[in-house]
Amino acid sequence: MAEPDLTHVDEVVERLGRSEDALIPLLQAIQARYRYLPEQALRRLCEIADITPAAVESVSTFYTQFRLRPAGRHTVRVCHGTACHVKGAPLVTDALCKHLGIEGDEDTDSEGVFTVERVACLGCCSLAPVMQIDDVTFGHLTTESITRSLDDFLELQKRRAKQRRRRPGTPREAEIRITLDSCCVARGTRDVKQAIDKALADLGIDAKVKPVSCVNMCHETPLVEIVTPDDGSHLYAQVRPDDVRAILGRHLHPGGVLAKARRTASTALEHLLTDDAWEPVTRYGLDMSTQRASSFWDPQVLLVTERAGRSDPLDLREYLETGGFEALRKCREDMSAEQVLGEIERSGLRGRGGAGFPTAEKWREVAEADSDVKYVVCNGDEGDPGAFMDRMILESYPYSVIEGIAAAAQTIGAGEAILYIRQEYPLAIPRVREAISHCEQEGLLGDLKMRVMEGAGAFVCGEETALLESIMGRRGNPRLRPPYPSRSGLWGRPTLVNNVETFALVPWILRNGADEFAKLGTEHSKGTKVFALAGKVNRNALIEVPMGITLRRVVHEVGGGIGEGKRFKAVQVGGPSGGCVPESLADTPVDYEALVHVGAMMGSGGLVVLDEDDCMVEIARYFLEFTQDQSCGKCTFCRVGTRLMLRMLERLCGGEGADGDLRELERLGHSIRDNSLCGLGKTAPNPVLSTLEHFRDEYEAHIRGRCPAKQCTALITYGINDNCIGCTRCAQDCPADAIVARPHEKHEIDTEECIRCGACRDVCPADAVEVE
Amino acid sequence: MPSIQIDNHQVEFKPGQTVLEVARGLGVNIPTLCHLPGKPARTSCMVCLVKVVGQEGLMPSCGTVCEDRMRVFTNTPEVLEARGNALELLLSDHLGDCDAPCTVACPAGLDIPQMLRYIGQGKLREAIEVIKTDIPLPAVLGRICSAPCEKACRRAAADEAVSIMQLKGYAAEADLTGGHRPYTPKPAADTGRSVAVVGAGPAGLSAAWHLRRAGHACTIFERRDQPGGMLRYALGEDRLPRRILHAEADCVRDMEVEFRFGVEVGKAVSLEELLGSFDAVFVGVGRLSEGSRPFGLDVRDGKVSVARDSLLTSRARVFAGGDVVRARRMTVRSVADGKAAAASIGLMLAGDNTDAPRRQWSCHMGRLGEQEMETFLNHANRVARIPGAAQPGELRDSLARSEARRCLRCDCRKKSSCKLRLHSAEYEASPRRFHGDRRTYTRIDGAGVVYEPTKCIKCGVCVRVAAEHKEPLGLTFVGRGFDVRVQVPFGEPLSKGLKTAARQCAAACPTGALAMRDEAS
Repeated sequence: MAEPDLTHVDEVVERLGRSEDALIPLLQAIQARYRYLPEQALRRLCEIADITPAAVESVSTFYTQFRLRPAGRHTVRVCHGTACHVKGAPLVTDALCKHLGIEGDEDTDSEGVFTVERVACLGCCSLAPVMQIDDVTFGHLTTESITRSLDDFLELQKRRAKQRRRRPGTPREAEIRITLDSCCVARGTRDVKQAIDKALADLGIDAKVKPVSCVNMCHETPLVEIVTPDDGSHLYAQVRPDDVRAILGRHLHPGGVLAKARRTASTALEHLLTDDAWEPVTRYGLDMSTQRASSFWDPQVLLVTERAGRSDPLDLREYLETGGFEALRKCREDMSAEQVLGEIERSGLRGRGGAGFPTAEKWREVAEADSDVKYVVCNGDEGDPGAFMDRMILESYPYSVIEGIAAAAQTIGAGEAILYIRQEYPLAIPRVREAISHCEQEGLLGDLKMRVMEGAGAFVCGEETALLESIMGRRGNPRLRPPYPSRSGLWGRPTLVNNVETFALVPWILRNGADEFAKLGTEHSKGTKVFALAGKVNRNALIEVPMGITLRRVVHEVGGGIGEGKRFKAVQVGGPSGGCVPESLADTPVDYEALVHVGAMMGSGGLVVLDEDDCMVEIARYFLEFTQDQSCGKCTFCRVGTRLMLRMLERLCGGEGADGDLRELERLGHSIRDNSLCGLGKTAPNPVLSTLEHFRDEYEAHIRGRCPAKQCTALITYGINDNCIGCTRCAQDCPADAIVARPHEKHEIDTEECIRCGACRDVCPADAVEVE
Repeated sequence: MPSIQIDNHQVEFKPGQTVLEVARGLGVNIPTLCHLPGKPARTSCMVCLVKVVGQEGLMPSCGTVCEDRMRVFTNTPEVLEARGNALELLLSDHLGDCDAPCTVACPAGLDIPQMLRYIGQGKLREAIEVIKTDIPLPAVLGRICSAPCEKACRRAAADEAVSIMQLKGYAAEADLTGGHRPYTPKPAADTGRSVAVVGAGPAGLSAAWHLRRAGHACTIFERRDQPGGMLRYALGEDRLPRRILHAEADCVRDMEVEFRFGVEVGKAVSLEELLGSFDAVFVGVGRLSEGSRPFGLDVRDGKVSVARDSLLTSRARVFAGGDVVRARRMTVRSVADGKAAAASIGLMLAGDNTDAPRRQWSCHMGRLGEQEMETFLNHANRVARIPGAAQPGELRDSLARSEARRCLRCDCRKKSSCKLRLHSAEYEASPRRFHGDRRTYTRIDGAGVVYEPTKCIKCGVCVRVAAEHKEPLGLTFVGRGFDVRVQVPFGEPLSKGLKTAARQCAAACPTGALAMRDEAS
């Protein structure tokens, strides 16, 4: 291998500093340059910075972002979050690797084009299964579509290279709103936007195309809203680039003679566009007043997402015009710190990161701490598989978060604020950075220094003490609490750590008053909670519901019920820290204590709905696989205990369970829960313990060699019944060549060869494939 | 001064002190592995858990800073179980042997690998000291032992077992015939207690030897006029030359054991009389004749009934061992019984009612994989076993040294100082409770230390010690989670990582993961 040019290392040290605190950004910068961390570069780093080889080695091998071997030109991140998992991510990964010829321990194809990584969660659960190639997200993958996605991506790269900058336009009357969040982009909004730009140019229509915040209805994207002064608002759902011309033609009028001529010319060969002629567009029309949509919207109360679908996330003017920074102004001018604390206290706001610690109490501890240096940290390291609320909030409402942080800093007397955002959110990071810089330019932040620190891929850094370690440039190892960060946090100073959603709620509370907030919710859980609703529900969406709403209403009304006529089985609440609430307990309200009472927890707000096809033992195994993979490895109970629990669950799913296993699983689970050092370990057994409590019969069935949901491949066999019409399609799709198919005769499955992937059943037109 | 309550004892503390520090100051025993006294706590091993009233779950005492009026409990059932769980979790991922399989198989528990190392180095004096810690008749056993150790020897899986029995005989005979006074250990200070031993066979001789070592006075009553029991009367000169038996019996006499030949207990003197003039009695009279019931002790299936661990008979203060309690004749077993009985007599005399454990707590790595065997062989003499032609007593020095070096040295270098072993024994932690992934044994040498990663508990003690000693490279954690490991940065060898702190790191390691290569056990 050629010696890499190391002058870049010197440059980044010059730019980012030589202290150990800067280690993670330094490594990120080095990796950005070389696409991995060449050993020579790391040795050079140790030479010229005040960082030891031990620190470099331990940090660079702790975070999954860092690569120590060369990578392909493009990185394919395949999501293995909960929603993706239940929707077939493992099969998609296998197909992807097979297509690229990647085998064994390798992760890069032989030509060095694509490197495939498995990631915990990309936070696009409504699009499951999902992958991200560089910054482009692809959703609803199938084993067939995956190759097409790779081709599309390479095509997009070429197009991007040619793309011109849009000319600045003249004042416009009409507005075309389109969402450009990660998940919407994945569903094709970028293509739709290009089509709109092109159509506007071709048709000579003068209208403003405005990227707006997430509209929450992930299942209906790409969404295009046309707002005209005289005609009101029209919302189109699931728009395809081909539809754009028709939609625009319906509402907007071309300007100028020349444009008219151009329009005529360019559409001469197309069919005439009129409301009557273009029938299909109505099919996509989404009338807000219809039954379906109102069941979606009515139960929701939008506080964090109050600007949903209306505002340009980065338009500071607009934010200011709609009450933005009013709360911060109040903090600075009208209210004393004590008054702000009192207001937050009266609102009953509790931490939205999961544990629900009273926010005012935390603020007060830091406010009262005796130190001339204090910090505010915004925890944006959302990493639960199945949760993407924080990403959406950061992408769509960066100013709300910034304002909340600034208000907190003002109240507690902090001079510096750090937003720790996970690097898997490539859109959120630049948006927040840009938003901060807009605020600074307008002088809105006063003396407060605010910066973004990119996480480097470690779920455990969502734990506040691990997060602080990470900010200080170390491995994300949690430490014992107490002392809590409010007393001893960053560099030993009092530090306020709150979650993104918590901060985002602060401006609303201060603007509208604590009483308005406290009106919503239950006795001890006030206000609203944002959830990522995903899984086997008809509407996968980002929702904001008042505390106290039952899970059943969320599933049936907001979520539109279970898809494909299946039976609602359980809701997984709180991701790997939470538990499964069975259908029989679905009337449990969204409330911190109530959820804990049924063995789950609020967590950071993932709601994954499970139906009769989901095996609860497999779900428990899946979560344990996740947490044990994300364990930092520091304390015995979590490092060794979660691995042992995983092995027990694997044996159960593999049909090797024995009597007594369940008791031992429970004992070990309790031991890990009670004795682990940090929240990750303490909550890791929850998915197992809650399913053991509510679905013990399924575990017992596994010990007897049966998987009731017919999911655990070691416990099921595929067969073909007499419905078979002899079409051979199953045999064509079988990846293992396990189907003996003579045309027009009943086919047979060789159970020895069969890998139980279910491809045959999906493709069979006659319902002839059976699972036993 | 602020104070806390530990197990209902009120105790004052200085600000910043941890619960562990205060508890230890109070003499409360709390186990630790990752703790480095006086250094910030790492809270990794979690075996120092205590209950702090008001805190959910348990707290690692090493990292819990005392606060005024804190109430702590260090020995509730919950605490003890949790510590045991932590140890069992660590053990599920701790691959290695404490004692080597040969030692475990030896009824007398002889530290065979240590003996072999000394023989391999030509240090025969040290070898005989190791041998005679457990076995007073090694030259005898060097000829006639059934050698269960060799059946267990790891080396047998690669080619043939190490010739342990003959090497032991070699070292012992060298000591007997070396022209100096044969080695006998120095007895402990006189305890003022006395024990009668009935029978001068292997069990009786061994019991007397070990009792004297512990400082108890000892008299052997033998109905015949010579020592040796069945060794003398059942084996021919060709199998066991009498000179060897005499020489080793003389060593027992050199330990100031009084022999009273021609005195048959039960006839010339009764058991009651012995119990009247001695503090305890050990019965080692050999196999019983049909239907006999020596001294009125309970007998079952033709053997005197004894408690399995203590060897106590149905009579108080009367112990028994050797063929009189065994169905199968096995000399080394009898010797082992003599040692075990001496130990439990010692405990009884000290007023301790617990049974002396027959077997030390030990964990085992089981069968070696092919690659693992290669790793061990790479550090051993790869030659084949000495040809069978070499007769007992005829091993020449160079051949003996070569043979001894065939030992794979699978015992742990830290077997007597490992804190994981110590605490596991104390908490009766089972190494087999959890079935974890079995890792592949590897070993890394350098800087005078041996690093066995599969014994590492990831406590980071060595990493911190190396950093404190300002090692330029030192050691570091690599990776995370279950696969986290400790190594020198950038994959450099140990010799570069530990230029100055190797000894300190090895000493601080709470397990056998990092040990001096030639650490004496």
